[in-house]
Amino acid sequence: MTMKIGVYICECGPNISEKVDIDKVIDAVSSMSDVAVVDRYKLLCSSDGKKFLEEEIKKHGLTHLVVSACSPKQHEKTFMEVCENAGINPYLFQIVNIREQCAWITEDKDEATEKAIRLTKAAIRRVRYHAPLEKKEIECNTDVLVIGGGIAGIEASLQLVSANRKVYLVEKTQSIGGLLTNFEKTFPDMQPSSALINQKIQSLNNNENIKVFTDSEVEEVLGFFGNFEIKVKKKAEEEPIEFDVGAVVVATGSNIFDPKKTPQYGYGKFDNVINSLEFEKMNLSGKISLKNGKIPKSVAIIHCVGRNEKKYCSEICCMYSLKFVRYLTNKIPDVKVSNFYSDLCLPGKSYQKFYEQTKGNTDFVRSMDVKITEKDGKLNIEYKDETGKKSDLSVDMVILSSAIEPTSDASKLAEIIGMSQGDGGFFAEEHEKLGPVSTSTEGVYVVGSSQDPKSISETMVQSEAAAGEILSSLVPGKKIEPEVKVSHISESLCTGCKTCLSVCSYGVITFNEEKKISVVNEAICRGCGNCAAACPSGAATIKHFTFDQIYQELMEAVK
Amino acid sequence: MGEKKQHTDVLVIGAGIAGIEASLLLSKSGRRVHLVEKTSYTGGSVIKFEEVFSNMECSTCMVSPVQQELLQDKNINLLMLAEVEEVKGSLGNFTVKIRKKARYVDLQNCIGCNACFDPCPVSLKNEFEEGLSERKAIYVPCAGALPNVPMIDTEHCLHFKGKSCNACQEACAFEAIDFKQKDESIELGVEAIIVATGYDIFDSKKTPKYGYGKIDDVYTAMEFERLYASNGPTEGQIFLKNGKTPKSAAIIHCVGRDEKGYCSAVCCLYSLKFNHYLKSKIPEIKISEFYTDLCIPGKSHQKFYEKMKETGTQMIRANVVEVTKSGKEITVNYKDENGKKSNLLVDMVILAPAIEPKSDASELAKILGVSLDEYGFFKGENQDVFSVVTSKPGIFAAGCCQGPKNIQNSVSQANAAVGKILSATKTKMEGDITA
Repeated sequence: MTMKIGVYICECGPNISEKVDIDKVIDAVSSMSDVAVVDRYKLLCSSDGKKFLEEEIKKHGLTHLVVSACSPKQHEKTFMEVCENAGINPYLFQIVNIREQCAWITEDKDEATEKAIRLTKAAIRRVRYHAPLEKKEIECNTDVLVIGGGIAGIEASLQLVSANRKVYLVEKTQSIGGLLTNFEKTFPDMQPSSALINQKIQSLNNNENIKVFTDSEVEEVLGFFGNFEIKVKKKAEEEPIEFDVGAVVVATGSNIFDPKKTPQYGYGKFDNVINSLEFEKMNLSGKISLKNGKIPKSVAIIHCVGRNEKKYCSEICCMYSLKFVRYLTNKIPDVKVSNFYSDLCLPGKSYQKFYEQTKGNTDFVRSMDVKITEKDGKLNIEYKDETGKKSDLSVDMVILSSAIEPTSDASKLAEIIGMSQGDGGFFAEEHEKLGPVSTSTEGVYVVGSSQDPKSISETMVQSEAAAGEILSSLVPGKKIEPEVKVSHISESLCTGCKTCLSVCSYGVITFNEEKKISVVNEAICRGCGNCAAACPSGAATIKHFTFDQIYQELMEAVK
Repeated sequence: MGEKKQHTDVLVIGAGIAGIEASLLLSKSGRRVHLVEKTSYTGGSVIKFEEVFSNMECSTCMVSPVQQELLQDKNINLLMLAEVEEVKGSLGNFTVKIRKKARYVDLQNCIGCNACFDPCPVSLKNEFEEGLSERKAIYVPCAGALPNVPMIDTEHCLHFKGKSCNACQEACAFEAIDFKQKDESIELGVEAIIVATGYDIFDSKKTPKYGYGKIDDVYTAMEFERLYASNGPTEGQIFLKNGKTPKSAAIIHCVGRDEKGYCSAVCCLYSLKFNHYLKSKIPEIKISEFYTDLCIPGKSHQKFYEKMKETGTQMIRANVVEVTKSGKEITVNYKDENGKKSNLLVDMVILAPAIEPKSDASELAKILGVSLDEYGFFKGENQDVFSVVTSKPGIFAAGCCQGPKNIQNSVSQANAAVGKILSATKTKMEGDITA
């Protein structure tokens, strides 16, 4: 079939017509090869304009369309729809921005016209190299794998099953519940954590749509969004369990910083220096006591343990330290509690009130260079106060409020799933602001403190957010439409240098060892273009932005 | 839950970042969304910022693709200049009455060429620009506003005041200006409602010790955001009132914290961002930050703080701060960590005021029949600080209307509200796909 290109120039009322000599543009492009018709119209985006274009395409039997008008941001989609309605592939179309980039940027009509001619010519030459692209549809599995049986994973699972989705919940330890099962109460409401977690565990156990694997770890995650293949290894069992899911929620939680790495606090050396998790457990057991079984009369809580080492603020330590004050004063009415801190971090609407209601029961000492020694069976806290003056305090017990850090096996899991780790070694979200629970791997979500230190309440919100993302993108009976403008690696041109593998942000390129070439999974490629830019042999190209298309367009523009 | 459901549409109130994200996600799931926005534009507060912490990403570049997506989404019925007047019924079965004011500019016909602005004879302070620049009676709040379609302010437009002015209509080549448009009353049936109405900024005049409103060159954070904005009143140039470039600036944290009784969670970080704003325009400027406690929670923010500190900013932990003017210079009087009185002369002061509930939050809460907390924010389930569940089933709250928070947490809440709505609905299984 011969190529017949239609070129239409929008006047945009006076917006383009007053600044660009449209007749000159028409003259300049009419003689270009394969151009069948060139015309102008008052306002192509209006309903009359769209109808006009559609009729023109049919009347002249056009195969390609070029529209010189406004920014593609505004109306590229509009004219692609016109193409579809008129029966030509919407990718055999190119929009030229002669409004924002020509008419609106200069008072000089000649210059504006000259640029409009160049850009229109470039688009005409480009469109000749366009190829039709077809939307694809793939079937998807709507089941979900949730990794981690703490509050984050439990909440995500519950949200998903209440929408009738099937969930596989994989927990490394022998029971679900996570860190929360160690806490007596949660801040700031001081409600029993058991009330929160037990009820959730119960509804989870009662739901036939949740399959829980305890003592188990995810061994392999293959495939892509909508079609992941999972292998889970259960302790003491030979064969891994295999199943397919459409999405993965990572909710593996966090550890606390090991205070042995900050020897100035004497953790591991002095009996009555304990970390925050040990104190939670002790408190939960019902009795707060020293190693010798006696009740402490004075307790110091040291904030920000490990903050300098980790180089971030763990957000919740100030609040849980205040909670510890409540624990202590509830159980030991005459206890003296001192908090050693540098900055109070109480973000959000309810925390300051909690602080105000707690501070009467404790001293707050703004301090630096805290060091703990043992003297006559008591612990001595040496510190510099906020004026820089050296001081000390003798106490029976010291609680270290340790930083939150990623679990030790986070990097192993990151590798299995193909996730990246960001600041502090936490799993990286897709976008700091707009993609807080999605990751660079489509269909893999990250929630809770494995993503960033956070409170239980924030964690649950993230779990619900991931459920929102999954429930809206994986709908039973609906197919997924992958991106059309994706990478393609030519089998014959690829030299197997693997450069593309290292630059792909989404992990969608694999290496075929047999053929010694790179292969793109087009179903999940996002079309970022990194591989095409990096490929030294020209084997990797992005559809609709091929070398030829860009080269021809540029050659015409700079002619 | 929801057995007797009749409706599947969802109402979202507020087209800021939380409302937009919630609407897009709902639309993706196949739901029809009615997005009600009080102003004539989308994007809410975020479009007022030039850059956002901590990666200093260009804010409009971040949000405008999302806004475009919203405007082109056929599943989303965007109602601007609209407010919810009445809500009846319960989960699955809400009946909502919406009052939509006439824009007097046709959204389809207008192409956003701005030809109508110049001929308009009326000039007024632009509220979007914190009064730092002027606008006409037909106007968009700022360049780049989306949709790029103006509205007519009938309170000041001469035509609507009975005069014979038709200047804008005459200038319009697209017959987009329609004085005959009428306010509409719209009734909708929806399954659930997401409230995402955002926040106000604490009025710095309520803390007179900082001199705001009395002393020139004492700015609020929002004013300073607009001063730095490339589409703002000075096109991003930071000037003093006398036209000179400031050589020194003080940023005062926690303005209104004592009055509000909570920490607004974002002020330390945006104050650190202001450091970057100032240094990038005026590299030699001397900056002092007055604070009591640094609140920079999370994995990325300390790194941001360290980077800002490297630029030589002086961090002053101070208790009582008072701003006075003596002669030409502004004096910041303060008590330092040792309790010693001290003072500092500066050219410019920027106040970091608290985030507070929208002034009409209580009115909306009454209409919706949901409770507010003691601070006037929409109250979460029980005492759960971040919960998007309100006191009424089927009504959810996301973003800063629920409590002060950063963009990330607002978006998480928006998506969580969608999650709650979708999970409350048992998906009809086709065949046995997932069994």
